[in-house]
Amino acid sequence: MQNQEGLPADGEVESSFSNSDFGEWDTFPDDDIMNQKSLIQSDEADKIPFVGNKEPLSSLATEYQSGSTILLEKIKVLSEQYAAIRRTRGDGNCFYRSFMFSYLEHILMSQDRVEVERIKANVEQCRKTLQSLGYAEFTFEDFFGLFLDQLESVLQGTETSVSHDELLSRSRDQSISDYVVMFFRFVTSGEIRKRSEFFEPFILGLSNGTVEQFCKLSVEPMGEESDHVHITALSDALGVPIRVVYLDRSSCDTGGVSVNHHDFRPTVAGDKPIASSSSGTASPFITLLYRPGHYDILYQK
Amino acid sequence: MIDFARVQKELQECSKDIEKSGIKVTPKSDSSLSRLIGTIPGPVGTPYEGGIFQIDISLPDGYPFEPPKMQFTTKVWHPNISSQSGAICLDVLKDQWSPALTLKTALLSVQALLSAPQPDDPQDAVVAQQYLKHYQTFVGTARYWTESFAKSSSLGVEEKVQKLVEMGFPEASVRSTLESVGGDENLALEKLCSG
Repeated sequence: MQNQEGLPADGEVESSFSNSDFGEWDTFPDDDIMNQKSLIQSDEADKIPFVGNKEPLSSLATEYQSGSTILLEKIKVLSEQYAAIRRTRGDGNCFYRSFMFSYLEHILMSQDRVEVERIKANVEQCRKTLQSLGYAEFTFEDFFGLFLDQLESVLQGTETSVSHDELLSRSRDQSISDYVVMFFRFVTSGEIRKRSEFFEPFILGLSNGTVEQFCKLSVEPMGEESDHVHITALSDALGVPIRVVYLDRSSCDTGGVSVNHHDFRPTVAGDKPIASSSSGTASPFITLLYRPGHYDILYQK
Repeated sequence: MIDFARVQKELQECSKDIEKSGIKVTPKSDSSLSRLIGTIPGPVGTPYEGGIFQIDISLPDGYPFEPPKMQFTTKVWHPNISSQSGAICLDVLKDQWSPALTLKTALLSVQALLSAPQPDDPQDAVVAQQYLKHYQTFVGTARYWTESFAKSSSLGVEEKVQKLVEMGFPEASVRSTLESVGGDENLALEKLCSG
């Protein structure tokens, strides 16, 4: 090691290691690291639930009050089109959690039974995909079952129907919320593996590993963040278009400030139909706000 | 709350192909499914070949969202397994765990770890140093430990020691020689005789 005099902190660390010749590791077991990780997570949990309350978009501006003027400008542009934001917890599952709530809320509000039948057919397709990829049924069936239960429950008029408040509290209940997140992770992983030739070039750019490794390391474990690849795969697999609005510092050469967005539109694979918003317009009914490393839900005016 | 229905299914599934995989998972007691015992055969072509290794499994409340805790109860000489406590250094038992994995796939990963040690990311620094610097000694020690602790049917090491000591060799050198040749009685005798 080449510790300089000017770096006393590093020097201290170094000497404590050399004294005991790696013995330190014995008193620093993995359990402690895991415990610390869960402590950090519970700290985070105190700050914001899995899915937050709907807040006016002005709360976003407040957050950046003393920050970048570009961002404040962009938020102003956003507020012309969007009325509200619903934050999700930054635990690495925020994309799936945002998608979950946004989708189920849409069904609850629209009572679009045609859409429910459509997505159920896709879910069945996903189940078959996992089976053909060699996943043991018992590893995923509970997660599939729980998502389908939630889907049924937002349709009104049955004994198991839930209100909007109940949907929110379920989305905050770990024993339901995490199961649905894991359901989406299974669906995403299955889609990527099934179409590995299509996804491979993108994955090589991200991770340097094989498609299979990518799924094992970056899709299936809880808390792994989502990127373009994940969103594309989930959108394709379930046939649900997703709009992602990007709020970052990138400025525009032309002078005027605008906010970029990207619509993930499911490629029509085989005979699978695609979800359309009830109004019949082409714009996706799910809109997420992306800030580097995090997704929240946006509400159109 | 542990998902016991799932654990039950896992146990059934695992017992189906015991013949093929050689991997066993059984509850420690009849009353609970949160403490289990896993058994894996040492991989062929490694110093662990022929050994049967027992692993203590305890399921955390969050299973299957949290990884099962696994620890060797059979003593094993391996860079990624503590020779003292049996603690295992394996990514799928930590941050790379996913509910898509099972007790069986986790045990398969442990078995694969026996075949492919990662001395650069050690659990047991002493073993890892030996692996990197004196590979043959490492192989000998690992084999000796397999013979001594992971084989119940074969002649016990203590008996071999006793036999050689009775021939007139000092106990200390008998033990070190046996260890250096991986527990092979005849090789040890040859080596002791040649001085």
